[in-house]
Amino acid sequence: MAQLRHDHTEFVSRDVAVVVVGPEDAQSFSDYWQKENLTFIGLPDPKASVLKLYGQEVNLFKLGRMPAQVLIDKEGIARFVHYGHSMSDIPSNEEILALVDEINQAK
Amino acid sequence: MPRVSLNQPAPNFTLPDFSGKDFSLADLKGQKLVLLVFNRTFA
Repeated sequence: MAQLRHDHTEFVSRDVAVVVVGPEDAQSFSDYWQKENLTFIGLPDPKASVLKLYGQEVNLFKLGRMPAQVLIDKEGIARFVHYGHSMSDIPSNEEILALVDEINQAK
Repeated sequence: MPRVSLNQPAPNFTLPDFSGKDFSLADLKGQKLVLLVFNRTFA
């Protein structure tokens, strides 16, 4: 999350809306957003409806869910899908930004 | 387990954000790219 906040302006300048979905409730989101001064969209999903829709892996034995990222272009097509295999398995923002540049330039 | 597939339409969803305002993926179509981040926890 810190990495995302750090690069948020890079995403904004490329016409990317960053949307964070998580299992916490609205109050936890609100508290965290305030504390960390976050500006991207935060969607509490305690019922895991979107998580299930997108098929994020749930591993009960590991107490939770692995991180996942999906980049969707302006036509609503998924252009990058990454399902983490561990908590630290998150692609770098540089990797995603490079892809965004590619998509934007192709227009 | 269903998974979103590369180069296929991303499933639409509508969910209230933490301030109670509805967010719908379809609303951004034609306007913005979306980086959807599934976060496990705020840690």
